[in-house]
Amino acid sequence: MLKRFAAIASGPLLLAVLVVLLVWPLICLVSGSLHEGNSGGAWTLDNYTAIFQTRSSRVALFHSIWISLGVAAAAVVICLGPAWLFVRHDFPGKRIARAVLTLPMSFSGILIGFLCVIMLGRIGVVPRLMEWLTGTDYFSGTAYQLGGILIAYFYFEIPRATLSLESALRKLDPRLELAACSLGAGAWQRFTLVVLPQLWPALLATFALTFCVSLGSFGVVLIVAKRFSLLPLEVFEQIIAFNRYPLAAAMSVVLLAIALCASLTARWATHRLTHVR
Amino acid sequence: MKIRNSLIALFLTCAALTPARAQEKVVVQYDCIPNYANWGGVTAQYLKETGVRVPPDMKGSSATMAALEQEKTNPQADAAYYSAAIGYQAAGKGLHAPYKPKGWDAIPAELRDPDGLWWTVHSAHVAIIVNTAALKGKPVPTSFADLLKPEYKGLIAYDDPTIHGTSFTFVYGINQVLGGGADMNKGFDYLKALDANIVNYPRENSYNDVLRGEIPIWINADGNGLKMKWTDKAPVDVIIPAEGTVAAPLVMALVKGAPHGDEAKKYLDWCLGESAQKTMAESFFRPIMNVNLGELAAKFPPASAYRKAVAPPLNEMAANADAVKARWVKEVKGNR
Repeated sequence: MLKRFAAIASGPLLLAVLVVLLVWPLICLVSGSLHEGNSGGAWTLDNYTAIFQTRSSRVALFHSIWISLGVAAAAVVICLGPAWLFVRHDFPGKRIARAVLTLPMSFSGILIGFLCVIMLGRIGVVPRLMEWLTGTDYFSGTAYQLGGILIAYFYFEIPRATLSLESALRKLDPRLELAACSLGAGAWQRFTLVVLPQLWPALLATFALTFCVSLGSFGVVLIVAKRFSLLPLEVFEQIIAFNRYPLAAAMSVVLLAIALCASLTARWATHRLTHVR
Repeated sequence: MKIRNSLIALFLTCAALTPARAQEKVVVQYDCIPNYANWGGVTAQYLKETGVRVPPDMKGSSATMAALEQEKTNPQADAAYYSAAIGYQAAGKGLHAPYKPKGWDAIPAELRDPDGLWWTVHSAHVAIIVNTAALKGKPVPTSFADLLKPEYKGLIAYDDPTIHGTSFTFVYGINQVLGGGADMNKGFDYLKALDANIVNYPRENSYNDVLRGEIPIWINADGNGLKMKWTDKAPVDVIIPAEGTVAAPLVMALVKGAPHGDEAKKYLDWCLGESAQKTMAESFFRPIMNVNLGELAAKFPPASAYRKAVAPPLNEMAANADAVKARWVKEVKGNR
């Protein structure tokens, strides 16, 4: 009885939540980005052309895309190792290692930005250690440069990539590898011919996930960025400093569109890989 | 079962605590940064004297104006605190309600709005705040020109002027300090050259970073540096640059449609009273009212240090604020 009630009630509830939290805000956002003034005005596409005509926002958009692409690629490749270890092997300290790698999942971007400053700031832990070891404070202020942003974003994506890959690896059938092994395939052959073809969809999905999270992440760059502005920060600045909501909305829509493209492309590619053989 | 019991316990605790919270009176002040002008100490003093809580708020002047504008139809704040030019600008946008707090007549006419849309509570000057220990033997700079020397590369910061009013005052006023004209080119040329030595344009208040030495040189209000020096006993020097400096009056205003309007008026009155003005002076912001500062007075730099200070007219600053901020973003921050 309760079960049926829950089923009947959850449908409309879910729909209501969807409308209130997703559809309605999205309509407001898109409509806002297409208007001239903060509270309406004439319809226009100027906000979108402004993003590409203004050097700072164009550069920020470009940085956002390539930093997110780079970080997502690095996260997928590097996290595959630990994910494999966690699924296929038992070793002392596995639970601790797993906890350490997945803990940053619960950290906000701002916290990770601060951690980055504490470690790689001008008087961070790493430069002070370097000074003690070598006499020169290497990595001093790295937090505020491109390196700092890449490290912080990568750190931000480690838990997401690891967990996503782990669940994909768990679904792999080890018997296929055993079969390949008994047919004489070496470790490399087993990986490239048996594991990888099954894993492509998961790799793509993880790539798309980490790319989208990096693209939208704002807290990290709020703390560490000096010259490197990213588009989410430009959105913040347009609202806080210049009170230009339509432009901020247009930037948000562009970010959304890119994220949507990324996940749709990943889906399409996954579909091709799994169904067209 | 255990979970259910603890949930019930949690619920009861919340229920028990809520009335206490609801009875507590609150005044919401936007831009109430604890480490700026001793707002932490001022609000603690107000809580002690009246039992009314004024929670900290980390918005800078421009962020405050943006928030008030966004909430225009549904105001959340009661009072606002700004660098004068931004307060002037916000008043022009119709975000404030007129109010003339107690002590209004003692405020010089040029430091208040004739209709009571804003008024000065205290004033400071832009200064070079130096953590001498973090300089590691490098000479302490004594002028704006010194800051351009390559030896200070990566050691200097000023807050993002699109968010924080004090930095805006600096970015706007440096042109006049250096003898620039109405086109402001001289000021912007300086800021562009200075950019080579800047480590970061922080978006959050940097007080603690300067204390720790993460930021060795901070261009900000002199009072904040003097508080580091006298109150926190940090190895900090406050340099009034040889070329001169910019006056930085700070203003308050009553927000239009303030949800706790009556409480806000009492609080705004109190902010001009003796106890508030003295507490503000503990962060070495000069009180606008004539109060006896006692021993504190000797710790302020002598008036002669500010001989060459400029005070750009607030109406001009307010009128050009958006343009100057936009130019800073384009030419200084965006100058890659």
